[in-house]
This record gives sequence, C-alpha cells and structure tokens, in this order.
Amino acid sequence: MKTPRAVPWLFLSPFLLLFSVFYIAPVLYAGYLSMFIKKRAGFGAAKEVFGGLENYRRAFQDSDFIHSLLNILKFGVVQIPLMVILATAFALILDSHKGRLQGFFRTAFYLPYTIPSVIAGLLWGYLYSKNLSPFNQISKMLGGTGADFLGSDVVLWSIANIVTWTWTGYNMITLYAALQNIPSDLYEAARIDGADGWKLTRYIKLPLLAPSLVLVLIFSLIGTMQIFAEPFVLRPLGYVPDNITPNTYLYLIASRDGNFSYAATLAILLALFTFVLSGIFLRFTRQEAPK
Amino acid sequence: MSVTRTRFSPLQLLALTALAIYSLLPLWWLIVTIFKDNGQLFSTFGLWFSSPSHLSENLHTLFTRQDGIFSRWIMNSFLYSGATALGSVLVSAMAGYAFSAYEFRGKDALFSLILATIMVPATALVLPIFLMMQKLGLLNTYWAVILPGLVNPFGLYLMRLFWDSSFPKELMEAARIDGAGEWTIFQRLGLPLVRSGLVTVGLFAFVTAWNNFFLPLVAVSRDDLFPLTLGLSVWNQTSSSSGQEPLYTVIALGALISILPLVIAFLTLGRYWQGGVADGAVKG
Repeated sequence: MKTPRAVPWLFLSPFLLLFSVFYIAPVLYAGYLSMFIKKRAGFGAAKEVFGGLENYRRAFQDSDFIHSLLNILKFGVVQIPLMVILATAFALILDSHKGRLQGFFRTAFYLPYTIPSVIAGLLWGYLYSKNLSPFNQISKMLGGTGADFLGSDVVLWSIANIVTWTWTGYNMITLYAALQNIPSDLYEAARIDGADGWKLTRYIKLPLLAPSLVLVLIFSLIGTMQIFAEPFVLRPLGYVPDNITPNTYLYLIASRDGNFSYAATLAILLALFTFVLSGIFLRFTRQEAPK
Repeated sequence: MSVTRTRFSPLQLLALTALAIYSLLPLWWLIVTIFKDNGQLFSTFGLWFSSPSHLSENLHTLFTRQDGIFSRWIMNSFLYSGATALGSVLVSAMAGYAFSAYEFRGKDALFSLILATIMVPATALVLPIFLMMQKLGLLNTYWAVILPGLVNPFGLYLMRLFWDSSFPKELMEAARIDGAGEWTIFQRLGLPLVRSGLVTVGLFAFVTAWNNFFLPLVAVSRDDLFPLTLGLSVWNQTSSSSGQEPLYTVIALGALISILPLVIAFLTLGRYWQGGVADGAVKG
C-alpha cells in the first residue's frame, strides 16, 4: 500500500511552522537588521538608514566586543577541558562499581544541574560576597584575610566555577550512561586477552566513550559562547565588566543604547563564530576517530 | 554493564566525597540561610544554623511583599513550563515520527538543517523575536514566553531517536493492511510505545522553560508576568541598590522554593533525565 506523499509533511507541519517563525525568520531578520545603521542628522532623532556592511566593519574594530570574545575564549580553553576531564574521571569511577553509595553520589553530582542558572548565579553570588561568604569566614578563622571573588580580575573565574558546578554532574551522567551501554562481552573478550584496570580503560572504555565525549564537548562549547545569566545576576553584587561575555555586551548594546541593528550584527557574528569553532572541532575529531 | 563489583578504594572515596561536598555545599548554605535574618546572615557562621529562627518572618515577607506577587511568579513559572512542555512534546513527537517512519524527498537535508540550528545562540534568536513580537503586539503576554519554546530542535532529535528505537516499522504495515489510518497508527499504536521518550522530552522542555531567563527578560516587562527566575533576579537588583531594605535571606528562601519543583521532579523521575542524550551518541 502506498501512503499519500503529503502524509509526512502533515506530521511535520506544526514543527515546521513554528521552526520557520522562531528560528528561520529571526535569523533572516537579524541579517536584514544588521544592514542598517543608526544615524543622527543634526538635532533630529536618530534614524535607521541602510549601511551595508558598516556594522560588521564597526564590530571588527570594536575593542569591547573583541575583548568579550577573547574573554570567552580564555574561559572556554580553561573551563571546558577541566570540566570534561572531571566528568570523565568520575564517570569512570562510578562505572566500575555498584551499590548504594554509588546511587547517592550520582544523585548528589547531578543535583546542581536541576538549578536554574539564574538561581545558581544568585546562590554563588552570596557565597562570593565579601562580607557574608562562608569561605571568607573560614579563611579569617584560620588567620587569612579572605578574598574578593567578585573583583574585576577574578570574576571571570568565579563564573567559571559556577558553570563547572552546574554542568560537571550533568556531563558525568551523560558519559556514565554511555559507559553503561558498552556490552559486557567486550569486557569478557578483553579480560581473556589479559586487559585489566588501566588497560581496560585506555583501550576499551575511552575509545567507546569518544562519540559521547565529542557531543559533550560540542554542547559545552555552544553553552560557553552563550553565557549570560550568571554574569547578569552577579552584576548588582560586585564589579562585573559589561563586556565580560559577548552576550552581556550584546544585551547592553540593545537595552542601553537601543541599537538593535548593531546588536543583531553582534549576534550574527557570535553565531558564525560558534559555527566555525564547532566545525573546526568536529573536523579535528573526525580525523582522529578512524583508527 | 559495569564489570567489577569491588568497593571504592579509599582514594576514590575521597575524591567522590570531595565532589559531593562541592555539589551540595551551596544547597546546604541555602537551607541554613532561610532560617536567618539579615543580621544573622552577616554575623553568624554561614554554614551552620543560628537561633532564633526567622523562617516564618522570611516566609511572611516573601509571600506578602508587593501584594504577594511571589505566588503569582510561581504560578507563572508553572504555566510557562507546563504549556511549553505539553506543546513541545506534541510538536516534537509528530515531527520525530515523520522523520522516523516515512521516507520523503529532502528528509536528510531538512533534518541536518534543523540540527544545525542547535548551534545558533539564543540571543541571536531572541533579539529579532523581540522586535517581531513588538510589531505584532505580543510583548507582555503569556504567548511571548510560551510560543518560542514550543519548537525545540534538540527535543526533535531526541524524539526521533526514541521513534527509531522503539517503534517497529513492520507494525505500520500490519496496521495499514488492517485498514488503520495514518493518524490512528501514530496516536493509538505509536505514542504508547514511545511513552518514555515523551516523558524525557517533556521533562527536558519543562526544565529548559523553567530555567529560561533571557527570553522572559526581553519579552515581558510587567512584573505580574514574570517567571520566578526573572522575579528573583529583579528583587536581587533592587535590593542591592542603595536605599532599599536588604532582602538577602528572603531572596534565598525564594530561590530555594523556586528550585524545589525541579529537584522533586529529578528525584522522582530520575531515570528519564539521563537516557536519550548518551544513547544517541553511542548509536550515532
């Protein structure tokens, strides 16, 4: 029996309709917007006029924007490997045992992921706050002076800690689930060949974990490029630069300056940048894979 | 399956305990803090209780401040997340079914295009969506927060994996021979088979909507439309600025209440939270 050709499209129609309105149209609209610049003529109100690629030229010379990109790169280069290594190590530890304690640890590690990033930001904001931080209280009890976690030079790493706190457990569970899916006869075979302990991890577990690791890394990369809520809620509590991440800078351009066309330009550049980085990363890992 | 059944070595146990403390410490601080007033917050040790308890005052302030708007925020969060979850499950289930059960022209290209949009930063979408909604007069409505969340490429991806693995295509043929229509096959035969997928994707959409901050931040400016995340963030901003009564412990209580639904959902529906993501990676 042959089904009419329209059937799959009918099933797809609600998704495609919403997808066009909330994904395709905004991207195209942002591209359109980015072609306009705000111009002030004499004493008159600012007007939007066609500016071609003027906004893009401005972005590449905008040291605040460049600085935010460099910031997030610095952040990613340090935070992502640290978090993924932690997550992998703990997934491996948990995978090699079973029992009641194991369930407790899994739940404890995963719990931070259930906390909205705004709330995580608030929570850590208090823990960082100079006068009420329990870390500083402990440090003072031990004769130290306490630290300013929200000082402009360390706040990026304080944010990195919040992100690590939120996502390590989530990534660990993803990797742990992948390890649990490895068929046990593979282990049997390896054991007969005399592989055990570290060898088992190195030659069986890690290679089979590779696809999940790639996924975890890609999602971490995309997430890092979009960090917004944490610095946003930390701002009232300490000194957080406006351009600490590309998104906080972009929000400032839109909300303070009301310059939506330039903000749209920055959003497009950020998207392109994410695409390029993910592409390079995927290319890099694909070449590594077949061995 | 795991192999060894031995106990954790002391070193492993130490590492596990350290990470558990790291994960739970902020939550412990939160629980301790909701019993304090601002004076105690600054004068007593942050990681332990102090008497007398001020929980009832904090509760009173939390639920009566600004005419009890906090209850409204709780309701809003449930409304936004519930509607988003239900809607996006239906939309993703149908679309995932189309990709899994049918062959059609351009299928692979379309699927890749949809997946590629996972990489588009939310800001790149939210900004133009804000302007579009402004033109349509949708700002400051419930729709402004719900509609964009109904379409979720990652939800579709997950849903397709569930259809691929739990819905045998021979079943379709058999049902067609019995004269069942395509919608009936999907609804009566298919949906029950991917039930765990529906829960996983629904939960994922619920959590994403509950945690969403950027969209409500730009889409609603009337405080009676705020979700919990936005409301608490605004209180944090206003109470930190000078000349206002500090609200730290009240906000802490609000924060704890705002995470309770997700923590409960996680502890009761735990097994649905993980699935999918890793399965897909191993298969793919």
